[in-house]
Amino acid sequence: MNLIYLAYRNMISKPLNLVLSLLLLVLSVSLVTFILQLSKQLNGQIDKNIDPVDMVVGAKGSPLQLVLSSVLHIDVPTGNIKLDEANSIKRHPFVGSAIPVSYGDNYKGYRILGTELIYFESYGAELKGGRYFEESFEAVVGSSVAKKLGLKIGDVFTSSHGLIATSTDVHEDHPYTVVGLLEPTGTVIDQLLICNLESIWDAHAHVDEGHEGENQEGHGDEEHDHKGHGEEEHDHEVHGDEEHDHEADGHEEQDHKEELEITSLLIKFKSPLGLVQLPRFINENTNMQAALPGFEIQRLMGLLGTGVTTINGIAIAILLVSGFSIFISLLKTIRERRQELALLRTYGLGTQKLLRLVLIEGLLLAFLGFLFGWLLGRLALIGASAYLESGYGYVLQIKGPDPVEFLFLGVTLLIATVAVLLASTSIFKLNISKTLADV
Amino acid sequence: MVKTAGLNFAYPEEQSFNFPDIDLIPGEHLLILGPSGIGKTTLLHLLSGILPASSGKIVIDTTEITALDRKSLDKFRGANVGLIFQQYHFIKSLNVDENLQLRQHFPKRIKDNERRHRLAERLGLSGQLKKKVTQLSQGQQQRLAIAQGVIHQPKVVFADEPTSNLDDSNCNNVVQLLKDEADISKSSLVIITHDQRVSQHFSNQIVL
Repeated sequence: MNLIYLAYRNMISKPLNLVLSLLLLVLSVSLVTFILQLSKQLNGQIDKNIDPVDMVVGAKGSPLQLVLSSVLHIDVPTGNIKLDEANSIKRHPFVGSAIPVSYGDNYKGYRILGTELIYFESYGAELKGGRYFEESFEAVVGSSVAKKLGLKIGDVFTSSHGLIATSTDVHEDHPYTVVGLLEPTGTVIDQLLICNLESIWDAHAHVDEGHEGENQEGHGDEEHDHKGHGEEEHDHEVHGDEEHDHEADGHEEQDHKEELEITSLLIKFKSPLGLVQLPRFINENTNMQAALPGFEIQRLMGLLGTGVTTINGIAIAILLVSGFSIFISLLKTIRERRQELALLRTYGLGTQKLLRLVLIEGLLLAFLGFLFGWLLGRLALIGASAYLESGYGYVLQIKGPDPVEFLFLGVTLLIATVAVLLASTSIFKLNISKTLADV
Repeated sequence: MVKTAGLNFAYPEEQSFNFPDIDLIPGEHLLILGPSGIGKTTLLHLLSGILPASSGKIVIDTTEITALDRKSLDKFRGANVGLIFQQYHFIKSLNVDENLQLRQHFPKRIKDNERRHRLAERLGLSGQLKKKVTQLSQGQQQRLAIAQGVIHQPKVVFADEPTSNLDDSNCNNVVQLLKDEADISKSSLVIITHDQRVSQHFSNQIVL
């Protein structure tokens, strides 16, 4: 039996009042901690993902889309660029490294990325088992994908056209073999199935053609056609030098494939001068566009930041209202318990002890509200993580309390303290004799 | 044990009360009799130190409580005075046993389960200890109020109109209980009442 126990019993003596007081606090705390974790983790993850890339060169369109699609792999690409043109950029003296990437297929919603071995190096990815790809249709699998889909070395899978999981358009005649598994990196590479560029070209050429004459019902009819062309495509790839001969043969519908294409080129500058000169040069003199991930993401975060600030503002407003509701609730409680407080005075508890009693009750309430709010925020984070993972392949980590959250706890308790002190002025004016004699 | 001299209390812009001097020796009990409206409750509140006197002196045991500051007075009262109010006051969020524990705890930090349970047994509250105070019957509440007044073994127990709502046999029972418990706690008992039925139990009486 002590003040803390008494305060606790007082607090829970009216459950409905308690729930009402807690509700606002829980709402505000969960909102703040959720937004805090979400923006922090997304920022951290995005920073890590764009770090190896100074500039992306891709088809004209929205630069933000180009960055989102080619670097972060959360949007559809702007289109393709010619490999020849991309290679001409590669030779520019300011360019340190240039990694071609090509994609357009997925396996169960995870993107299949055609690139070169240097891509692994740029993200510091290391093999956990197996080896890197050496030939077409050999795939190295990112750790999250492997875990989620249970892929092991030697497994065979077929890709589907498009970047989201669908059961249609499966390239059954071009199965991939898993040859390597990657260690987790905490970057976008964990979410990818990576192969060489040729694999994408082979499968892509093949599918594009199928698509030209294809509609869902006609699938069976097209099958023969499809297969026949497929074989030709293989020839085409193998005898790359003889492209012109093929054209001469009159395959007009394949004109758009006479030059190899990639989706984009990821560039790391050798000299900071590249940052100043290259983007303008590319945008003004070629059919391609150059986008700077750092700049684009900063712009995006600027836009999102306004949203985050707004939500935080709302949460702080709710917090203040919840402080006010604690104040009202305590004020009411103190009035209702006037006689009990007077009784405690006759038990020898001074004014300060009564104040402490009410303070403990208020702080207990605030702490409980914070705890539930924090848990709810984390629960929301789990939900958001599941959503982001299925939609964008991003996984949010559910971590313990953050230093900023401790600070926020401090603020919450401070607000509760102020509410208690404002509510408890009547304790100092308590007339024991009159209060106890009142019927 | 209780000694007063020239005790006066004046309500602002209302009547003022002059009370006769009291001199109670340790172990003795006292009955203060008087009709309604003569300031009985006021006197009891003055004696127990929850109402400051306008003038005069009150000494309980060897301490002049009229000279204490508020904090010391709170402490002194908590340790040495037991109060049984006409209107029962309990902590409603606590059960019966916890209400008694609370009275033991403040301000002397005693935790004496045996005394508490024996007291509850004598007052017929053994079966009610885990109940909420609001679930008790009127009679049980009265006995709990008595328990609250004596549980911490105060030097003096003040009871305000303890018999006002009781029939004759219950009146006798309650007065007997009060006297017995005061004796067991080695406390002086001071009852203030208008109830003439109580007078036969006390040799030591003051009539206001």
